[in-house]
Amino acid sequence: MAADYVSPFDERVRAAEPLAPRPASVQRQHAVLLDIRKNRGAEFLDRMETLLRAEGASTARVTKEIFSKPAALGLIDEIASGGGLVVEALAD
Amino acid sequence: MEPMRTAEGSDGRGAGAVGAAGAVGGPAAELAVRGTGPGRITVGGLTADGGALLVFVSEHCPTSALALRRLGPLCEAWAQAGLAAIAIFEDPLDLAIRTARRLGWGGQVAAQEPPYPASRAYQVTTVPTTVLVGRGGLVAGRVTGWDQRALAGLLHEAGQGLGAELAVPPGAEPLTKPGCSSKAAIEPELAAAMSGQGGGDEPEEMFERGWTDGLPVIPPTAERVEAMLGGRDGGESLGLVPPAMGEATLARVAACAVLAGCRPAYFPVVAAAARAVLDPAFNLHGQAVTTQPAGQLVVVNGPVRETIGLNSGMGALGPGFRANLTIGRAVRLLVSLTGGAMPGAMDRATLGHMGKLGCCIAEDEQVSPWEPLHVERGFEPGQSVVTVIGSDAPLSISDHRSRTPEDLAYILAWAAASAWSTNWWPLADPSVFVICPEHAEMFRGAGWTKQRLRQFMFDAVRKPAGQLQRGETTPAVHAAAPDALVPKWASPEAIVLLVAGGEAGRYSAVLGPCTGMGSQIVSREVT
Repeated sequence: MAADYVSPFDERVRAAEPLAPRPASVQRQHAVLLDIRKNRGAEFLDRMETLLRAEGASTARVTKEIFSKPAALGLIDEIASGGGLVVEALAD
Repeated sequence: MEPMRTAEGSDGRGAGAVGAAGAVGGPAAELAVRGTGPGRITVGGLTADGGALLVFVSEHCPTSALALRRLGPLCEAWAQAGLAAIAIFEDPLDLAIRTARRLGWGGQVAAQEPPYPASRAYQVTTVPTTVLVGRGGLVAGRVTGWDQRALAGLLHEAGQGLGAELAVPPGAEPLTKPGCSSKAAIEPELAAAMSGQGGGDEPEEMFERGWTDGLPVIPPTAERVEAMLGGRDGGESLGLVPPAMGEATLARVAACAVLAGCRPAYFPVVAAAARAVLDPAFNLHGQAVTTQPAGQLVVVNGPVRETIGLNSGMGALGPGFRANLTIGRAVRLLVSLTGGAMPGAMDRATLGHMGKLGCCIAEDEQVSPWEPLHVERGFEPGQSVVTVIGSDAPLSISDHRSRTPEDLAYILAWAAASAWSTNWWPLADPSVFVICPEHAEMFRGAGWTKQRLRQFMFDAVRKPAGQLQRGETTPAVHAAAPDALVPKWASPEAIVLLVAGGEAGRYSAVLGPCTGMGSQIVSREVT
């Protein structure tokens, strides 16, 4: 018989969050552009914003407190309630 | 041996009523099995990329061995196409792991104990039985025993569901081979008699379970963990360990301490360090996943150093002392295992450094001319305190020739000029200087306080911004006039001074910072 071990892992089952359905087009969609404050991420978002608007989407910019920490719950709520699309910029 | 049944996928005969859970056409039953990694194995998880191939096997069965040998080399290609393969043994997990490894099985491994609930849920009476679960979690087909042609058909069907051409086992003899009785289908006494000997290779099993930092560990048996807890409540939660947010129950912290090789007497220090790294101000989340090399430096002050034999003397940053090495390792195992920050997984460090195996230093408070770190941070001298600091690898600083405290302070400070990066000035995060006793003695002799040394070092290391405006540098340097002097540190408080090391030799060291994480130094009393 196997020995009775105490696992260092947290063995709890977590339900996978399914990906939200992707729209066929960005036209008339509202996109939230999330700047995580990583160096030069804003430049990437500038380009994305231009492209999204050219495709008929409206945009809004939000910013994390710092790139190295999870976004605050309030910010996540703001993103969830504010737009159908999210673009998050990782950069360096 | 039982008579072979093949290609039941067409009608499901012999595998329960069509459409029943676990039978062909029915929903895949959940798997009550143990795997080798964290978390439970679920049908949803296995089919997340498209489909799953459940191969029920037993160690005692030659046909199972044949199936594992023939199918094992194909698993990786299947996985890339979206088909997860898992061998579900009717044996103890350690035996399953060794058997799978010996036979070259390339998929996942799981085990079930008597009365073999997974085999029963899938009406497995013969091993091997291979079950295909398709998208939507429905059982799409099954093959009993070894039947190369039927398995090729099953894989063709799986490939159609995935939109891919899946590799099939070679058409080599034997093309068919009867299976063996499933242990789920016979009397418990007979099943026990058929079972191989479990155990016997615990260190290897720890590797297979992933309960390691790459070095051998002490298996965390219930008895050892209980001894480590020393009567404490193992269910007490210290919080969630990022990035995977595993819950740091005291029992899991103790399991990490056992794995690391700690003695129970060390556990109060390990627990205090765990509480410290889980303080949100430390931002372990950022440190754990960064591409930076940073590890978690554990500094111990107070009477507990002597109580448990922590070394603050010769070789204080090196090998040789169980308490230092295992306490630091236990903290790192908590981050890596409970927190999920394993290199290449959620730990994304480009290089890392050896101190990430664990780095625990005790300050030599008797030799130091200054108040120790914990007193600086507001604790009483008689308190035992753990302080954690996100830090880089140590850089040695040799100075045998300075004859004034000013010269020595200059050498020490400028050694850190390249900490983090040559032109990244100023650093807001702490650089930790470990001052050796001979260097400390020079400052004592000259009557320098810790504050004076820190201020001198802060003032000494400055460069014109123009010399720093090259390659990676800070916005402050970019914005400064070329002749404006920029300091290496944002403030004197970014210089942390400790005293430790052997009484002979003039080698101090500096550990650069973990930068830009918003991480603060955190201290916790050892209780």
